[in-house]
Amino acid sequence: MSEAISTGGALERQARRPRAAEWNVLMALVGITAIFEVLGWILYGQSFVWNAQRLYIIILQVSIVGIIAVGVTQVILTGGIDLSSGSIVGATAMIAMSFAQAGMRNGQDFTQAVFWAEGWVDLPVIVPLVVALACGLLAGVVNGALIAYTKIPPFIATLGMMVSARGVANWWTKGQPVSNPTEAYTFFGNGLRGFMPVVTFLVLAALFQLALTYTKYGKHTYAIGSNAEAARISGINVERHLVLVYAIAGVLAAIAAVVVTSKNLTAQASMGVMYELDAIAMAVIGGISLSGGRGSIIGTVLGALIFGVIISGFTFLKIDAFYQQMIKGVIIVGAVILDQARQRKRGRG
Amino acid sequence: MKTFLIAGFAALMGTSALADDIGVSMAKFDDNFLTVLRNGMIEKAKGMEGVNLQVEDAQNDVAKQLDQINNFIASGVKAIIVNPVDTSATQAMSDAAAKANIPLVYVNRQPINVDTLPDNQAFVASNEQESGTLETKEVCKLLKDAGKTEASAYVIMGELSNQAAVQRTQDIMDVIGGPDCGVKINILDKQTSNWNRDEAQNLMTNWLSTGTKFDAVIANNDESAIGAIQAMKAAGTDMKAVVVGGIDATQDALAAMQAGDLDVTVFQDAAGQGAGALDAALKLAKGEKVDHKVYIPFQLVTPANVADFLKKN
Repeated sequence: MSEAISTGGALERQARRPRAAEWNVLMALVGITAIFEVLGWILYGQSFVWNAQRLYIIILQVSIVGIIAVGVTQVILTGGIDLSSGSIVGATAMIAMSFAQAGMRNGQDFTQAVFWAEGWVDLPVIVPLVVALACGLLAGVVNGALIAYTKIPPFIATLGMMVSARGVANWWTKGQPVSNPTEAYTFFGNGLRGFMPVVTFLVLAALFQLALTYTKYGKHTYAIGSNAEAARISGINVERHLVLVYAIAGVLAAIAAVVVTSKNLTAQASMGVMYELDAIAMAVIGGISLSGGRGSIIGTVLGALIFGVIISGFTFLKIDAFYQQMIKGVIIVGAVILDQARQRKRGRG
Repeated sequence: MKTFLIAGFAALMGTSALADDIGVSMAKFDDNFLTVLRNGMIEKAKGMEGVNLQVEDAQNDVAKQLDQINNFIASGVKAIIVNPVDTSATQAMSDAAAKANIPLVYVNRQPINVDTLPDNQAFVASNEQESGTLETKEVCKLLKDAGKTEASAYVIMGELSNQAAVQRTQDIMDVIGGPDCGVKINILDKQTSNWNRDEAQNLMTNWLSTGTKFDAVIANNDESAIGAIQAMKAAGTDMKAVVVGGIDATQDALAAMQAGDLDVTVFQDAAGQGAGALDAALKLAKGEKVDHKVYIPFQLVTPANVADFLKKN
């Protein structure tokens, strides 16, 4: 145990070192925002940033994927990857929403409710919430156990979960959407004057940033990502820790599912498609190294904001929908190239 | 199967020689839209004298579907109706039916060989081109009724690679650019929501943040229209001053229309397609001529007739 503590000290210094990386991401965020600001004045005579509603949507539209990215970041920090988060959102959305339906719609009995026959409508809001968290926890633990104990690569384990969880989402109601939640359930996506998703994202991000920086959980996460063998020798139970990290990622995906269904007042089997890739992209843009052990949640939050600024900026400038996708891809690849360059520089130094 | 065998046996005995046995192979039973279509067919058959339907579930399996068709042929049905599992695997079905000289009707999903169908085969569905056209014309009418001669609109597209999204967007542009609209509509911007409510909600909020005035939102599907509505309501937009159109007539969309938020949607008549397919099959069985493509019209849904559609799809 004394060994583990001493390693923790060394790793703590290592964890703090990449502060410069986050600084770069912040500069990129400011730079990209400035470009849209200038173009806005030139093309439309309008400010991009000086607009409360735009600042709101910039962060709102990345909050849901951002919650997932907080979990995915921790997985990537261990040197792993999670491709299943989008599908976990889909499956959790369908299942949880079935327990959140109201019994009336527009003044008529809502007989299309999934559990209408069972009479499970207008349930207290805690029911869908607990169901959701349980779904996410289950999926995450399965992911983590597969990776830790069968030793199959995280890419394959979570790819399997991605396919199977989407299957669950489709099977649950045979593709039918699940709509019409109770008033109480709509709080998670629309409460606090519509700021609830943003608050949820930022609170969770802050919580896990603190956990990663100041707790044993964080030190072990960085240690495993830097060198799993060394971490094991220094007394860390690598397997158990991996299960924990993937479980957290699963639960965060489930929270995202609650927020997205609450915000949209519906669950659809196709919900969350591509969320995993957007979440990974946010982390990568935020300077998280895909080889593990390097980066922070702050970086991911900044990466998410860059995403949000780009989406809003493109719509603001009315850039053709076809070009938007292409440019988004270029930005993601560009971010990785920068990350690689940083890594090489650090390797030499 | 049992009743069919009995019916077939009875036919052999010559007691009901006039009965029209029709074999039906559905892609799958556990699909809501296809179930409505199937029931439309069954209802129609019930009201007719001497029509026996034998409906089978292909369980989304191409091989199983071809087996079912061959079984129908072997038992000497008068005509076959197929809702193809895989529209690119229809050539073999057409060949098998043509060889046995039994009429074949494809329903809802367009077979790959639709342009080379033999004379006694046909395709029954709705013409995708109608949906966007009906939607946009109604938006034009509503804007005109509101006393506008010029208006601005946002367009929310479906997935950019999807044929229906491309077609519907083209229909919007064609109606607006054509002589039928009656109002000059400027498209402020058109962007994709990937058919997705959440993306449409975000997109609409982004548009709202520019502060540009607009009179209508024309969406490729209902989910996108509902997303736009939710964003506008959250931003305090007066929904009475904005015309919102979608396509599909989903349950959520009909509820939004009843609540006074959605103004236009378009209904694809599943039951009508089922009944139409049976009609075509019976005609072909009697040796009458049927067009290779039979289109069942889409139906416009507005607050005036929304109640008629609540129980339909």
